Amino acid sequence: MSMSEEGGRDRRGPVRSPQNLAAGLSLVFLAGLALWLTRGLSQGHLNAMGPGMLPDWLAYGVGLCGIALLVAAFLKDGEPLEAWSLRGPFFVVVAILAFAVTIRPFSLGPVAIPGLGMIVAGPLAIIIGGYAAPEVQLRPLLVLAFGLTPFCMVLFGDLLNLPIPVFPQSLAGLMPDGWSQKTILRVLAALMAVAAVVIHISGGRRKDGKIDVVTQPEEI
Amino acid sequence: MGDLVSNLSLGFGVALSFQNLGLAFLGCLVGTLIGVLPGVGPIATIAMLLPITFGLDPVGALIMLAGIYYGAQYGGSTTAILVNIPGEATSVVTTLDGHQMARQGRAGIALGIAAIGSFFAGTVATVVIAALGAPLTSLALIFGPAEYFSLMVMGLVFAVVLARGSILKAIAMILVGVLLSTVGLDLETGEERMTLGLPFLIDGIDFAVLAMGVFGIAEILRNLDHTETRDVVRQAIGRLLPNREDFRQSYKPVLRGTFIGAILGILPGNGAVLGPFASYTIEKKLAKDPSRFGRGAIEGVAGPESANNAGAQTSFIPLLTLGIPPNAVMALMVGAMTIHGIVPGPQVMTRNPELFWGMIASMWVGNLMLLVINLPMVGMWVRLLKVPYHLMFPAILMFCCIGIYSINSLPTDVMFIGFFGIVGYLLIKFGFEPAPMLLGFVLGKLLEENLRRALILSRGSLETFIDRPVSGVLLLVAVVLLVVALLPSIRKGRDEVFTE
Repeated sequence: MSMSEEGGRDRRGPVRSPQNLAAGLSLVFLAGLALWLTRGLSQGHLNAMGPGMLPDWLAYGVGLCGIALLVAAFLKDGEPLEAWSLRGPFFVVVAILAFAVTIRPFSLGPVAIPGLGMIVAGPLAIIIGGYAAPEVQLRPLLVLAFGLTPFCMVLFGDLLNLPIPVFPQSLAGLMPDGWSQKTILRVLAALMAVAAVVIHISGGRRKDGKIDVVTQPEEI
Repeated sequence: MGDLVSNLSLGFGVALSFQNLGLAFLGCLVGTLIGVLPGVGPIATIAMLLPITFGLDPVGALIMLAGIYYGAQYGGSTTAILVNIPGEATSVVTTLDGHQMARQGRAGIALGIAAIGSFFAGTVATVVIAALGAPLTSLALIFGPAEYFSLMVMGLVFAVVLARGSILKAIAMILVGVLLSTVGLDLETGEERMTLGLPFLIDGIDFAVLAMGVFGIAEILRNLDHTETRDVVRQAIGRLLPNREDFRQSYKPVLRGTFIGAILGILPGNGAVLGPFASYTIEKKLAKDPSRFGRGAIEGVAGPESANNAGAQTSFIPLLTLGIPPNAVMALMVGAMTIHGIVPGPQVMTRNPELFWGMIASMWVGNLMLLVINLPMVGMWVRLLKVPYHLMFPAILMFCCIGIYSINSLPTDVMFIGFFGIVGYLLIKFGFEPAPMLLGFVLGKLLEENLRRALILSRGSLETFIDRPVSGVLLLVAVVLLVVALLPSIRKGRDEVFTE
């Protein structure tokens, strides 16, 4: 990842298109990986193709494209690599992992996390993920987390009856006897929504009319 | 003709039921919402909402998902006109003249003509689907494996030609996509391919996971690098209904845009994205005074907006008649259909006529709803644009996590959207477009199946693809297209179309 810095600025070297160089290298790597993974599979014949034949052909095709891009990188001027930001990918991936390990019981070696359900996983994903943007402010993020999670709890867990864990089962023991799972869900959702409103009101108002927006659309 | 009428009345009977009306409205509402918001696309949204449709009946589920897709085409123009940011990729062209009109105080008229043009295009496209459905389906019945293979190859070549940027990179992406689709158990021998011994890869890579990673998460990462702070528009929208003079100027562009969009939409390989560009170019060429374009010409809004809506709808044709998804959104529709036990293809029309015709009729109903959702309620959507991106993306992130988890209840799926998100981010940084890869992945399994079957039937002779007339013609078209796209003079023209 450090090469992007040098590649972007130093245009006098033999590499005339750092972007194509990186693209070509990644394709060649991918082709090699595919060929290595399919080495044990039989090729078969055209009238009875084996499982390895198509993946191998495709891998050769990908590899050829990669080599062509590598050659082009030295012959033709092209785009530099765009600057990287590590902040975005880091926080987004951590947020996704946090969601994945807390939504239901998870154990990896000596680490074991009890299933905490959406009530913990949702806010975790929002708050950790929110730090991916440099403009982050904790308070609006908390309001968002405590406001959106109960909405999702009611929508997915209550209305749609999807089999997604909503709250930790240990919490059910603390509730009054005779409360059904749905009642607990609704009470918890209401409590979170109230918390969201309280945090929002206690924050006061701040208006400057400027916001950040995405400048280019997504591809279809 | 009598058939068409009776079929359509069956369809309207289904589409006008209380539940389906509600679902169509919900779909159109969500579609408009994500269309208006830049940075949220239909692919990620439909992938997120797939689990919601589990509990619905298949007709209702598909009606809602379809509404999201064409609803997004309407919503995208609102942002393009008012803020000069395309809400969807297909409304890029609308920013050129639409925003200029807004700056001249004609925002309402631009919005009005966009919605009216889209509605007209949607109506025509509905009729086109209804009329072409039956003949194309009977065509599909004479298709053997060789023809299917060649048709898909042609579709992938289309995708290469239509992709932006380097053709070499687009070809590489298609190949990578097909390669990814071969991961998992081999259909015929039952051997594991490239699974690294991981149990959750035995069934192959889940399409929803790949799509959500590459489009949902990678888009968030990319957008984080491309945000800017700016004032949200505060200008008056003004009168919404165009006057007689506006209509006189724009009815021909609407007709031409509808025609171009509908034709391009039918092509396999995501022809629909080209519609608005082609329409804009043609309007500019035909105009008496081309210099008006880019300065608020109403034709530059009317044509492309009609084209994108017509294309979005006719792109259902290859899916419903041949069972071949022409783009990633349609691939998700395949997912939604398979969840409900419906195999997309020519048999849908005979076995599930209420699904086929109900969906088509609901498109027209949906277009009518969108007219209402968009014009009188435009003020509400504008307010949505005031949500800053740094609060929008954590919400999208959580919805992605919940959505993908509830499809299979697998935490590994959630981790994989993170992985594919990083992969997609790298691809974008290296100048690759993820859309062709997804199409390659979608068609990969069908492609391999039909290739193998065709070769078994021909006893291993590759000539079968050329000897059979239909297959031969399809391959010829593919080769000609590819050669033409590689010719230097055409390449220049292609780049112009995309940069305009």
